[in-house]
Amino acid sequence: MQTQSLSIALPHKFEFLFKEQFNLYKNQADFVAFKLISETTRDLTVRNGKPESLTSFHDLGIMIEVMVGGHLGYSATCELTPYGIQQAFQKAVHTTSQSAKYSVAQFDLSVRPQAIGQYKSVRQKGLDQTAYSEIYDFLKKTSSQLKVSNKIVSATADAMIIECRQRYLSSTGSDFEQDFNIIVSSFGAIAQEGSETQYRSLHGGRGICFQIGSEFFNLDHYLPLCERTGQEALELLTADNCPNETLDLILAPDQMLLQIHESIGHPLELDRILGDERNFAGWSFVQPTDFGQLQYGSPIMNVVFDPNSENEMSSYVFDEVGNKAIKQYLIKDGVLQAALGSLESQYRSQRLFENKITGVANSRASSWNRPPIDRMANINLEGGQSTLAEMISQTERGVIMHANRSWSIDDYRRKFQFGCEYGQLIENGRITKTLKNPNYRGVTVPFWNSLKALSQKDSVETYGSPYCGKGEPSQIIRVGHSSPYALFNNIEVFGG
Amino acid sequence: MIKNYIHNLSQNIFKLLESNEQLSLFLHSEESTFIRFNQSKVRQNTQVHQHELTLQLHKDQRLIKMCLNLTLNESLDLDAAHNLILEARTQLPLTDANPQFFRIKNNGHSEVIKKSNYPNVTEIPEIIYKNFSQDDLAGLWCSGPLRQASINSEGQFHFFETDFFFFDYSLYSGPLAAKGYYSEHDFSEKNFSSQAYATKNKLVLLKKPIQKIPRGQYRVYLEPMAVAEILGTMSWGSFSQGNYKKGVAPLKKLAEKQLFFSPKVTILENFELGLTPEFNSIGELSLPHIKLIEHGHLKQFLTSSATAQEFGLNSNNADVREIPRSIELLSGSMNADQALQELNTGIYISNLHYINYSDIQSARITGMTRFACFWVENGEIVGPIQDLRFDESLYNIFGSQLIELTEQSSIFVDIGTYQKRNLGAMKVPGALVDKFNFTL
Repeated sequence: MQTQSLSIALPHKFEFLFKEQFNLYKNQADFVAFKLISETTRDLTVRNGKPESLTSFHDLGIMIEVMVGGHLGYSATCELTPYGIQQAFQKAVHTTSQSAKYSVAQFDLSVRPQAIGQYKSVRQKGLDQTAYSEIYDFLKKTSSQLKVSNKIVSATADAMIIECRQRYLSSTGSDFEQDFNIIVSSFGAIAQEGSETQYRSLHGGRGICFQIGSEFFNLDHYLPLCERTGQEALELLTADNCPNETLDLILAPDQMLLQIHESIGHPLELDRILGDERNFAGWSFVQPTDFGQLQYGSPIMNVVFDPNSENEMSSYVFDEVGNKAIKQYLIKDGVLQAALGSLESQYRSQRLFENKITGVANSRASSWNRPPIDRMANINLEGGQSTLAEMISQTERGVIMHANRSWSIDDYRRKFQFGCEYGQLIENGRITKTLKNPNYRGVTVPFWNSLKALSQKDSVETYGSPYCGKGEPSQIIRVGHSSPYALFNNIEVFGG
Repeated sequence: MIKNYIHNLSQNIFKLLESNEQLSLFLHSEESTFIRFNQSKVRQNTQVHQHELTLQLHKDQRLIKMCLNLTLNESLDLDAAHNLILEARTQLPLTDANPQFFRIKNNGHSEVIKKSNYPNVTEIPEIIYKNFSQDDLAGLWCSGPLRQASINSEGQFHFFETDFFFFDYSLYSGPLAAKGYYSEHDFSEKNFSSQAYATKNKLVLLKKPIQKIPRGQYRVYLEPMAVAEILGTMSWGSFSQGNYKKGVAPLKKLAEKQLFFSPKVTILENFELGLTPEFNSIGELSLPHIKLIEHGHLKQFLTSSATAQEFGLNSNNADVREIPRSIELLSGSMNADQALQELNTGIYISNLHYINYSDIQSARITGMTRFACFWVENGEIVGPIQDLRFDESLYNIFGSQLIELTEQSSIFVDIGTYQKRNLGAMKVPGALVDKFNFTL
C-alpha cells in the first residue's frame, strides 16, 4: 500500500464502533440512519516543473439522520467515540423533535427505502496502490511539456486523487457500501507578451474528472496534449478578438459541460422549484406544470440523468438515502420529462401540485457534515447525427468556442453569459482564424430551441466539475457531464 | 476545553519531530447549528461537531500540508497525526525543493474569546414562525462556537474563539423578494421583530408594476450589499501578489499605473473591525491596517511569506491564498438617506448575484441584479425591475463613472458555510455610479 489512506486503513478501526453504536440507537426514533464517510484526498500542484502545493486531507465522520413525527433532522460529528456519537444522537433527536412542530413537510418511511448492496468505481489499479512519486513525476513532466516557449510564464499541472468510502445503515434494514476512486486534473499555461496575457488549458480548469484508477497517469496520452495546449496559449497572444455580432455558434464538449450544468441541471432541481434554495442559489424558471409540456429545446435534444455511466464522475448505485440509481430521461425530443428530484422532493410535490413530477435518485451530500439535498449527478446530452466537419461546412459565418473560463447566470436560470478560452472563426464553411476572448450570452429556453445539430455518439466527450455549489449550509459536490459538439443558430457573441 | 485539548495534543505531536523538521498546526473547530427554512417553516435542522487540524511540515527546503479530523480522543488523534508525519517523511524526498519554502518562526502568543447571547436553538423554529407565519420566508439560521488556532514547533500559540449567530433570509411576493439579515451581540426579540417589520415593508414596494428596462447604460445606486458583492468578487485574486506575478491579474493596469481608480476609492485591510483573527493560518500577525488602494492608486498587493520567498519580496503577512480577510472600502460624502434624490432617474440596486470576471485582463465583471431592485424617476420609485445582466469594468465602476460613495457604511459578516463556517468581514458604503452597462 502506498498511502495511509483513511478509506482503506481507518474504517476497519472504526467499523466496529460504527455498527455497535448504530445498533444501540437504531430503535430510538421513528427512523434512524448512520452514514460513515471516509475520504482521503491528495492534491498536488506543480508549476514550471517545481512543487507549488502538496496537500492531503483525511476526512472522516458520521452523519446521523433521524425521523421524529414525520420530520427529518441531522447531527454530524467527527468525534468518533461512544461519547461523541451519543452526544450527536441526542442532539439530533432533541432538535428534530422541537423542529417537527414547525416542519415544512411530514414524511413517511417511503422516502427511505431499504437498500442493500455495494458499488465500486471501475478501475484497473486502485488509487491506494498509486505511488506518490508516480503522481509527482507525471505532474512534473506534464507541467514542463506545457512550457513550449519563454512566453509561457506559468505552466501548471495539478491532480486531486480522491479515495472515498460511504457506509450506510438504517433502521429499515438498509446496508450498503460505495467505494469511489476519483481523479480531477488540469493542465494550464499562461502566455504573456507585452501587455497581452492569455490562458489556455486542457478542457478548462479542473474539467477533467473521472472515476478511474491510476491508469489515468498515462504520459503517452497527456504529453502531446499538453504541448498542444501550450502552443494554443501562444497562438492566442496574436489572435484577433472575437467579433461582436449575432452568428452561429458551435460549442465544444468542454464548454457544453458548463452549458448543460447551469441551464439544464440547476433549473431542473426539484428542491429549487419547491423554493428551498431561493435565499441562496435561487429559484427556477421551470414551473411544476412544465413537466411533459415545455418544449425546452429543439427536437434533437435528449438529456439523461445517468448514474450508471462507467468512469463518469458521479456514478453510484444508490443515492445517499438508499434510492436505487437508474438512468432516466430528463428531456426527450426537446420536451421536459422529469425533474432532478429526490424521494423527499417527489413526496412534497405530489402533495402540493396536481400533476405528479417524476424524479430521480439524487439525494446527495458533499460529505458527512452536510444533509443530503437534490443534486445533479451525471447529466448528459446524447449524441446526434452530424459530424463536426459537417457542422462546420454548414456554417456560413460562425464561431467555435472551447473550454470554459467565465460563467454567470441569474437566480432563475434564464439569462446567462459564458466565456471561453479559445475560439475559432468559421467563414463560408471553413475555419479561418483563431479568436481570443470569445464570449456569448443568451436566455435558456430560446437558446436550447436554437440547437440545430449535434455531433455523433462516437464524438461525445465526458468531463465534470468537483465544485458545484448549493445549499444552506452550503455544499460543494462532484458532477459529471458528457456531450457532443453542438451547433446553435443566431447567438450573440462578443470579444474582450 | 478545546483550547486545552489542542494545546496538549500539539505539544505531544511536536515531540515526534526530528531535529531538522519544523511543524505548523492550524485548528478549525466548530459546534454549529444550521436550521434551514422554507415557507417560514423548518426544512432541515443540522448540528455539526467538526474539528479539523492541518499539519504543515517544513523540512529540507520542502513543505507538505496534511489535514485530518480530530476525534477528541488524544490517543487516536496522536496516532493519526504520527501516521501522517511518517507518511510525509517518505513523500517529501520524492519531490523537488519548493521555491516557496521558508522557515517557521515563533510569532508569539495570543488569546481572544468572544461570546454573543442568543436563544436555545430549539426555540428558533418557534421564533421564526411567530414573526413570519403570514409570510413566505426562505433562509438560514446559523449559530454556535467557532475556533481557530495556530500553533508551531517554535513555541507559537494563537487562539481565537467566537460564538455568534446570524439569520440570513429573504421574503417573497410571488417571484420578487426582499432580503433580510439579523445578527447582533445579544439577541433581542424587540430588535428581531423590528428588522422583520422593516423587511416586510420592502415587500410593499415590490407590489408596484414590474418595469421592463431595455439593455443599455444607466445611472445606478448600489446599496452597500451590492457593493459588497462586487468587492467580494474583486477579493478573489485581484489583491494577490502571487497572482500578479503569475499573470492572473485584474488590477495589472492599476499596478503598472496605466489606469487608475477614482481618487474617492481607498481600500484597506482593517483588522480593527474585530471580526476575524489577526493571525493567519501559520500564525503571522497582520498590521491593524494595510492600505491596498489609496485615492485610486494601488499601494500594495497582499503578499504571503510563500510568495515573498519565491519572488524575493517582503511579506505583509497575508494568508497563503492572499485574499483580504477584513476588507474596508472607505466611505464618501453622499448621505445615504438622499440616495433616491441623488440617483434622480436610474436603477436602485439592492443586491447583485453570481458575479464573475468576464475578462480578467480588462477587469470586466458580469452578474445579475437580484432581490429588491427598482426603476426610479425624478427621485421616486416607479416599480421593481425585471432582472438585468450587467457587464462592466472595475475601472469604470470604481473609476471614471463613480460619482460618489455614501457617508454611511455597513459591516457584513462572512456568512459562507462551504465545507465549514467562514470567519471574515467587510465594511462598505453605498455607491452612485453613472453609465453602468446592462447587456441582457
